[in-house]
Amino acid sequence: MKKNRIIFVIVLLSIVYIALAGRLYYLQVLKGDYYREISTKNYLRLYTINPPRGKIFDRNGILLAYDVPTFSLVALPYIVHNNYKKNQIIKALKDYLGIDLSPEIIEAFEKGYITKIVVAENLTDKQIEKFYNKFYLFKGFYIEVVPKRVYTEYAKYMPHVLGYVGYPSYSQLKNNPYLRPDVLVGKSGIEKMYDDFLRGSPGYRAVIVDAYGRQKEVLWEKQPKRGKDIYLTIDARLQKIAYESFKDSGQPSGAVIIVNPQTYQILALLSYPTYDIEKFTKGFTPKEWKKLITNKYKPLFNKALYGLYPPGSIYKIIVGLGALEEGVISPYERVESGAVFKIGKWKYRNWNPAGCGKINIEEALEMSCDTFFYQIGLELGVDRIVYYTHLFGLGEKLNKRIERKVSRIPSPDWKMEVLNENWFHGDTINLSIGQGYLAITPFDAIKIISPIANGGKIYKPELLKAYFDNKENKLHQIKPVLVRELNVNPFYIKVIKKGLYKVIYGKKGTAKVLRDAPVKSAGKTGTAQVSRKKKKDKNKKEEVKWELRDHAWFVDFYPYKNPKFAVAVFVEHGESGGRVAAPIVKEIIENSVIEGIVDEDL
Amino acid sequence: MRIYNPLGFLKNIDYFLFVPIIVLIFWGVLNIYSASINEYPNIYIKQGIFGILGILLMVFLSAIDLRKIVNFSIILYVIGIFSLIFVLVAGDVILGAKRWINLGFVSLQPSEFMKVIVILVIAYYLSDKKSPISIFDAIVIFFIAFIPAILTILQPDLGTAITILFPAVFIIFIYGIKKRYIITALIVVLALAPYLWNHLKDYQKNRILAFLNPEKDPLGTAYHIIQSKIAIGSGQITGKGFLKGTQSKLYFLPEQHTDFIFSVIGEEWGFLVSILVLTIYLFLVGRIFYWGLQIKDNTAKVVCFGAASILSFQAFINISMTLGLAPVVGITLPFLSYGGSSLLTFSLLIGTVLSAVSTYKKEKIQF
Repeated sequence: MKKNRIIFVIVLLSIVYIALAGRLYYLQVLKGDYYREISTKNYLRLYTINPPRGKIFDRNGILLAYDVPTFSLVALPYIVHNNYKKNQIIKALKDYLGIDLSPEIIEAFEKGYITKIVVAENLTDKQIEKFYNKFYLFKGFYIEVVPKRVYTEYAKYMPHVLGYVGYPSYSQLKNNPYLRPDVLVGKSGIEKMYDDFLRGSPGYRAVIVDAYGRQKEVLWEKQPKRGKDIYLTIDARLQKIAYESFKDSGQPSGAVIIVNPQTYQILALLSYPTYDIEKFTKGFTPKEWKKLITNKYKPLFNKALYGLYPPGSIYKIIVGLGALEEGVISPYERVESGAVFKIGKWKYRNWNPAGCGKINIEEALEMSCDTFFYQIGLELGVDRIVYYTHLFGLGEKLNKRIERKVSRIPSPDWKMEVLNENWFHGDTINLSIGQGYLAITPFDAIKIISPIANGGKIYKPELLKAYFDNKENKLHQIKPVLVRELNVNPFYIKVIKKGLYKVIYGKKGTAKVLRDAPVKSAGKTGTAQVSRKKKKDKNKKEEVKWELRDHAWFVDFYPYKNPKFAVAVFVEHGESGGRVAAPIVKEIIENSVIEGIVDEDL
Repeated sequence: MRIYNPLGFLKNIDYFLFVPIIVLIFWGVLNIYSASINEYPNIYIKQGIFGILGILLMVFLSAIDLRKIVNFSIILYVIGIFSLIFVLVAGDVILGAKRWINLGFVSLQPSEFMKVIVILVIAYYLSDKKSPISIFDAIVIFFIAFIPAILTILQPDLGTAITILFPAVFIIFIYGIKKRYIITALIVVLALAPYLWNHLKDYQKNRILAFLNPEKDPLGTAYHIIQSKIAIGSGQITGKGFLKGTQSKLYFLPEQHTDFIFSVIGEEWGFLVSILVLTIYLFLVGRIFYWGLQIKDNTAKVVCFGAASILSFQAFINISMTLGLAPVVGITLPFLSYGGSSLLTFSLLIGTVLSAVSTYKKEKIQF
């Protein structure tokens, strides 16, 4: 027995003991808090319970969109990874639930990711039953209730108004503390504009889970609060009429907006072509999606609110009223307006080479005389034109929830800032007839016509008529908000109104097609030049490429005596306001009478 | 005048050894109850029965003369070797390894018992040898352990095989073989290491790799090490309380009632009790080692050193494993881990030590 070897053994044992005791001290005392926290995270899971979003109704209580619960199979890949061989779980899912896994999901299982993944959506009752019967075969899987948006048949006439929902993007999550990654949020349209009404607040369930992801015990639960039901100002019948009237015109692209000029409540808002909104909940095939986003008529884009186009002659309403109020011209004053207006070496033509003759403002509106407006526009001056444009509310977000794009109203400052060029008389002349740098949203066209119809009042545009307050259990009506008045001589508004009446009923009116409509109305056509090039091919108009054709506009209000409806029709590259845009309004009026939305004039 | 007293052997039992072990056994049953109640509601009763059997076995052995036990060990050794061969041919497969003999009412693991038998046979062989032993004796001793170890590796069960070999090596070391032989042996082992590595099973390699680098594969083998560390660490100073360990109750711990019972103790009882457990093992090892030095009889010495080496090896390797300081090898925590074979093996071991002690005491008094 060697003494030093015995000492060696004793020393070794002591070292091991001290090392283990030290390790225990390190893990349990020094890092105890840390490991306690991890052990809590290990077994505690916080699940979000999706609240049902509020229902969306039209102004008359027609249901447009609502939520139904669907069931998804969700997995925690790391638990699957720890408990099953690859083919074992693929086979179990296939044999019992009939689910085929995508390569991405198989990869997630193989790599054992920590975050949950959705394995299958829209489970059938039979699949759910089988899953619960064979629960022990699916460690790491559970079923989650996911509310999905369902739409009624009227929704297809207004996908842009309703908009779609989806899971919040990273930036949305960062900017809005009320959003949760697995709670649906509005992505466009009403769903986005009034998301705070519709969303509700999510519920939470704290659950103790075991290492296989099985729920052992519910610690506490907070029920979700459902979103508020909302009633739109949209009249679903009128929206349908707008859609069908536009469709019947055969035009591929454009927008129709109808409001009540006495309140600025939006009754119809169409962007054409539309898209199938249900696809956003049911899912697109890659081919369908590609077709949708490469379509040259841009079905996903809401042209009515976010498109910018030169307005052309409908803008003459603002220039005309400004000129009257500023005394540039008096109501009955006649101005010689020929085929061409010359300033220096520059020539500005009238759309009609025949010219207009010596005419007053009513007649100038009636025949949409360019040379008349060149002259009064130039005398009014760019600053005052811009002033009146802003007075009407163009280029301004009168309702920030609805308008997110503002029209481009050019001015000398604007031109200097953006183009670094001086403002010339030619720019003012172009602006006088709604051309040049001016570009407005079709929705702003409604702001041109509505104050003429209501006698000079600017209201806050509204899409929301009422909402149901779940707390107080009652319906809150949204009252119209008067933003400002034009504060111009009412007589001048009447003069403009008369001019717009003559557009339809005058001898030289540009929209005589509306004479046959069952309701008397007044309006203004607009044909906005897009490209100068095509002028050369004037004889072969058929062959002008769609992208180069003029835009067609028509703004209108009816009934003439007591206007209840203001309409703006925009036809992208429609070529002629009178021939293309105005007939759409005529059809809208006709169908409105048939539906009983407006009474026929006797 | 001596009056024959049938219970006279009781006063020769070393209670410093015996009492802590009884405490460990019953405290082990309590913790097995906590670790297994959700999954296997009855096994703590089984462990309790084995515990009583183990205590009776120790009392019984302490009354028997050590030399009789050691002489009998040759027969046990032969039976043991045949059992190991039988296990390989016709044993029950549990968890991918053939380790058990099914006796109908209970399954036994002959490799466990082999740990003690090997020590006894070595004690028998060395009973009349003087220290330092010759190189020939060292080789004989090594082969006494090597044969059952190889049979155990084939099961495959690397952990138990190493435990069978360890006391033999320890005894050779402490009995004073020349330094140059030790150095030669170390060189041979190092030279063979790559070859041995290639012959390890994949799961064994994975366990070693996972131990060396747990972050590389946090959800595979290393998962067990991480969860065990979380369990023990989260126990903090005073523990989560009996039956309140979340890591064990919710199955985050692997094999929590067998190899990872110390994690359950760490989680539910905390630092103070964990240190106490560790200290009890040190005390027991020290006590047995003390007897090894104290008793002059060679047979008793070998039994004590062998027992001390196995007890310290298993206790400290098992605890190191749960603390993330050693790779996961299937080595039980003496008297605390669930398992009849393990419990009876250690009862046998301590019983033999008690026998050595009481034999020594008796002879010292009587002669």
